[in-house]
Amino acid sequence: MTTTYPQILFQNRHADRIATLEEYAASGGYEALRQMIAGGDRAQVQAAIQEATLLGRGGAAFPMGIKLSTVAADAPFPRYLVCNADEMEPGTFKDRVLLHADPHQLIEGMVLTGFAIQAAKGIIFIRPEYENAARILEREVALARQAGYLGEKILGSDFSFEIDVHRSGGRYICGEVTAQLNALMGKRPNPQQPPPYPTESGLWGRPTVIQNVETLSCVPHIVRNGAQWFKDLALTESGAGTKLFAVSGHVNRPGCYELPMGVPLSEIIEEHAGGMRPGSEFKACLPGGASTQFLTRQFYDIPMDFDSLKKAGHRLGTGAIMIFDHKTCMVAATLNLMDFFARESCGWCTPCREGLPYIRDLLQRIERGEGEAAFIPMLEEMSKYLWNAYCAFAPGAVSPLQGLLTYFRDEVEEHITAHRCPFQASGSGALDNRSQTD
Amino acid sequence: MPKLTIDNRSIDVPPGTKVIDAAEQLGIMIPRFCYHPALGSVGACRVCAVKVLEGRAKGIKMSCMLDAEDGMVVSTTDAEVVDYRRYVIEWLMLNHPHDCPVCDEGGHCLLQDTTVSGGHGLRRYQGPKRTHNDQDLGPLVQHEMNRCIQCYRCVRYYREYTGYEDLGVMGIGRRVYYGRFQDGTLESPFAGNLTDVCPTGVYTDKPSRFKGRRWDFERTPGICIHCSLGCAITVDARYREVVRHEARFNPFVNGHFICDRGRYGYPYASAAERPWQAALDGQSIDGPTALQAAADRLTAVAAEHGSRAVAVAGSTRCSLEAMAELSRACRGQGWRGPVFFEETRHARAVGTAANHLLSGPAVGLPAVEAADLVIVAGVDPVHEAPMLALALRQAWRRGAAVVIVDPRPVALPFDFAHRPLPPGAIGPWLEGLGGAAPVDDNKDQDDLGRRFRESDHPVIVAGTDILPAAALAQAADLAAGRVAAGQKAGLFCILPGPNAFGAALLDEDHDGLGQVIADIESGAVKALVLVESDAAWRYPNQARLANALARLDLLIVLDYLASPVVEAAHVFLPTTTVYESGGVFINSGGRAQQAVTALRGGRPITQTGQGGHPPRVFEPDIPGAGQQAAWAVVRALAAAVAGEASPGDLSPLEDLGQLHPALTVITPAPLPPEGLIVTGGFSSLPTEPEAVASDAGDAPGLEIVWTERIFGSEPLAARAPALRELQETPFLLIGEGEAAAWQLADGAMVAIGAGEPPWKLVVRVVTDMADGIVVLPRLPGWQQVVLPDGRLQPEDIHQRS
Amino acid sequence: MLTEELRTALEAKIAGAAHPQEYVVDVLFALQDHYGHLTDEAVAEAAQLVGMPVVAVEELTTFYPFLYREPVGRYVINVCDSVVCWMDGHESLQNHLMERLGIAMGETTADGLFTLLPVCCIGYCDRAPAILVNKKVYGELTPEKLDDLLETLRREAE
Repeated sequence: MTTTYPQILFQNRHADRIATLEEYAASGGYEALRQMIAGGDRAQVQAAIQEATLLGRGGAAFPMGIKLSTVAADAPFPRYLVCNADEMEPGTFKDRVLLHADPHQLIEGMVLTGFAIQAAKGIIFIRPEYENAARILEREVALARQAGYLGEKILGSDFSFEIDVHRSGGRYICGEVTAQLNALMGKRPNPQQPPPYPTESGLWGRPTVIQNVETLSCVPHIVRNGAQWFKDLALTESGAGTKLFAVSGHVNRPGCYELPMGVPLSEIIEEHAGGMRPGSEFKACLPGGASTQFLTRQFYDIPMDFDSLKKAGHRLGTGAIMIFDHKTCMVAATLNLMDFFARESCGWCTPCREGLPYIRDLLQRIERGEGEAAFIPMLEEMSKYLWNAYCAFAPGAVSPLQGLLTYFRDEVEEHITAHRCPFQASGSGALDNRSQTD
Repeated sequence: MPKLTIDNRSIDVPPGTKVIDAAEQLGIMIPRFCYHPALGSVGACRVCAVKVLEGRAKGIKMSCMLDAEDGMVVSTTDAEVVDYRRYVIEWLMLNHPHDCPVCDEGGHCLLQDTTVSGGHGLRRYQGPKRTHNDQDLGPLVQHEMNRCIQCYRCVRYYREYTGYEDLGVMGIGRRVYYGRFQDGTLESPFAGNLTDVCPTGVYTDKPSRFKGRRWDFERTPGICIHCSLGCAITVDARYREVVRHEARFNPFVNGHFICDRGRYGYPYASAAERPWQAALDGQSIDGPTALQAAADRLTAVAAEHGSRAVAVAGSTRCSLEAMAELSRACRGQGWRGPVFFEETRHARAVGTAANHLLSGPAVGLPAVEAADLVIVAGVDPVHEAPMLALALRQAWRRGAAVVIVDPRPVALPFDFAHRPLPPGAIGPWLEGLGGAAPVDDNKDQDDLGRRFRESDHPVIVAGTDILPAAALAQAADLAAGRVAAGQKAGLFCILPGPNAFGAALLDEDHDGLGQVIADIESGAVKALVLVESDAAWRYPNQARLANALARLDLLIVLDYLASPVVEAAHVFLPTTTVYESGGVFINSGGRAQQAVTALRGGRPITQTGQGGHPPRVFEPDIPGAGQQAAWAVVRALAAAVAGEASPGDLSPLEDLGQLHPALTVITPAPLPPEGLIVTGGFSSLPTEPEAVASDAGDAPGLEIVWTERIFGSEPLAARAPALRELQETPFLLIGEGEAAAWQLADGAMVAIGAGEPPWKLVVRVVTDMADGIVVLPRLPGWQQVVLPDGRLQPEDIHQRS
Repeated sequence: MLTEELRTALEAKIAGAAHPQEYVVDVLFALQDHYGHLTDEAVAEAAQLVGMPVVAVEELTTFYPFLYREPVGRYVINVCDSVVCWMDGHESLQNHLMERLGIAMGETTADGLFTLLPVCCIGYCDRAPAILVNKKVYGELTPEKLDDLLETLRREAE
């Protein structure tokens, strides 16, 4: 029996089609916008978000209310709102599912947020792999405009707000806030260390708020139902709201599930994702995308919310749970992740640009049975030093490596002493044919 | 003032100082690759890591990104941070070739130094190195991307600092590539600085490739003499040959950089055609015999026609020592002169500028950079004083407005306002800005006048090449007027030649070579001594010059450059270049700076040994040596004429105050590294404005504005083979209306002048130019064009195609 | 050469923009669709259209993986090599593709039909292993399904 929970973001989700504007409106959609526009109280939107402790769902978990409050009352115009739909964290697909389920809650969330910060324009920055979602958004944005929820003088008020869909050329780094702003301005998407913060000087030097798709989609529900309601959705005191968990890997039913914040990991795996595949035993998972640390059996029952994981020395990240079974070689899995990060490093700073390929090289040698005992301290040192890179990319990139060295050190050592991958027979181990494609 | 502790030593620094700079003030040089004081902090390379022990954020931090805080305690020697830096260097070396012993940059390489000092001595990485293809970036800069450590300095310098847009950073991750869209010559005339800016050998100096390595060079502090700014350089010499210039930091003049003319202009000193040997009536002869013959013949001319029949002319490239000896010789022997300017108008304009600079609010390039409004009158910055263009760009980057008042189309790597007025109208226009009634009813000028009065520290930059003397006075009055009103206004002038300021102080009567030629034509002058003169390069009527020289009883030429006047000389006496004798030059800001002797002279080994080494002919002396500095030759000549046994051993810089009171500050003692400002002595230069050029309305044809070009106009650098490749095709700029009337199409090839072969030019029809003028460049061939009244008529243009 | 129609359309799109360079990637995609890949000419045209130095545009074309500076096949197959697809057999899938098409990753078949490129992650981890063909997703792939897909694409191309 699977435990059922209230579906908020997925309340209009259908297996085979996208919810229409009418369906969204019938379920209470655009109610919040009507209320706020009628009341005209911009501060109320921000207050609700802040009180609801809506944390950014893109991975960083920064409180959205606090971010909005950093747009100063006298900040210059025009102001911008950017929706980060550049979901590229390996294992993460929640935004894609959300956009294909019920796109109007994002549109309403953007208009409400734009209203709160008096922005004139919202831009949805979307990755090229999501071309289908980009087309859906363009279509639904046009419908929302026709319905008066968007564009000039929204619902007869004096508030005007436009939404553009911006297609990216790709690259993981574009998901980083400051890199994304550079990309939007036609510059190379290198991150830019604050200050100034985007809310002071972002797009074209103007105040700019950037939020993830899921975060913005929560906004209409919070405004309509109240902060307390949102907090009560969570199972734990420290959590608030629901969370979209994108579950993948060696489970029977990989998929995206809307569950309360704080739901135990074991419940997600065993109930919602249908348990481990036949013949598979849980070995570890990455709890929130590729840039988090491996969670091992000892954390099997941990409540999945930002705070609980943080206390355990982990990160909830994007809530993308990738589950590895007992036959998986963790060295090879980590090598795959390092391959990804080395390929996607933007090349701005030395530790990330050079350190990641170095780490990849060492892991590859270990996996091939060419490892040396001296590699382990080198990997340890580098995984520590990569935290002193320019942006958060490299610290995220070495998180799985740190997990590997913490929880699976014996596995690494076995590769080195045996001069071979102990999992090679199982078929999902060696990466000998891998093309280095960075 | 935050007070912080770095490695147990305390220092107070101004708020906003970065820890890397604070440490440097303590003498602690934190390693750096991406950080450069002129380019700022970007935090890319991570090698400047320090450990913050006490402060708001503790732990490993990048000192270039870290503001000094009060009470902060920083360690550069903490074991963890030392290890971290060692890792950064190891990472940078992953893909870097291990070929230091045979690398062009070896010994000159920040990466090499940092690798050694940072403790990375063992290669542990066993993986492959990434490699790149290189690009052809033109004749000046060699590209070698495999050496790149991705510090981003080059693109930041090139795009942000200089404002040129053809160098970029391509690719991603460890494949990041710095280069152009396609192969081709770098467009920036400041591209050579890439060779200094690059911490490794991605960009190296192409003309000096394979000429040796840093430890092979004799390196001496020098002064660039390829324009009037006097930028600081380091002269690299090897085997009796200057093989490279590097930029040298001078906070009062050029900062960190120099232009490509200055960097690559040196080959004249070792040119194969350089006249090394004295000559008498066209026959090579030893120096002492030639000198005695010159003295004897001078004595004979003076005996027959009087000492005033002997005239002396130098040029603005003479050192102050040479100028002083010329002045003394004329005074001592009663000769005419000296004159230093080829054209009378330049003598007048520079004299007026110098006069005002001595007593007025003279400033240097740093004040231009810091200005909040710059009005540039009668200067094409890139071509007349290239580093001025970069200074203006820095001012613009800091928010200053730049207004160019110049008849010519002007291109600069930033946004500016351009007022294309004819040369004669610029002075009155400047006067109008000062508060007098505007000379035209342009609202623009009212606005600008207001902005000028309201600006906090404006600078007026005035050029002496195309402006009449009166305009220089008006520019100076404008600046002085604001100073009198309590503002921090400054005056900066651009002069023709590296020692034009000195020339203005020692010029006898501010008439220039034109008057000397007139005196030859009238028969008053029978003998002429040309000392490092550019008469054959810059005098605007070469036919007249040749005729006049042919009438002389005696022509004595002292020089290190080959030229038609050297060929025509009855007596030729070779002199040394600035590299062989050093010398003092007074830059356009009135700053006397001393170049140090860089090498001992003689023919380069590549010439005596035909490229082989060692030379196969062994002689006791240095082959080709024996020349003396121009000042010494002049003094010896004067002594011989006077019948003195020896020229004496007094320094030429002794008692300069007797020649001009402003020069009192300069003594035989070595000048301080930053030079000395000449000031204090009020000059007796003529200040009465000459008649403003008549309004062009009535005269037929178009007024010619001869214009300098960065490559090809300046007589020394024009001899550099690499720079010759960058020289433009000569052009004729003409306005749209005039082009239509004269039936000239854009892009057409024409020839003008009476010379043979005719001077060929490409027609460029332009819009942003003053009415009533054409612009012609002083590019080789211009000397053949004889247009006596300075105006161009349609019939002067022939061979249209 | 750009068609007049496309040039006019792009100019119209840019004309209304306060900052034309924000459309540079859109313009590049449009030119890529037009030429098949971004030729030198296309990069120069894009630079001219949005008013950027050509090297600044090249800085982007060489950064983004979905902008192609070299000719690509009619079908660009992006094979996802994320850790999830890897768990579910990405490697054998990729080997199968390379073998069937006779090319390595990063190459284009001689008939100009197929180009193989890696990508990570395409966000279809619930349907791993997955690939994109001209940005359209195919998931839960097996060698048999791949063969069918290639066959369909070949027929479609005829």
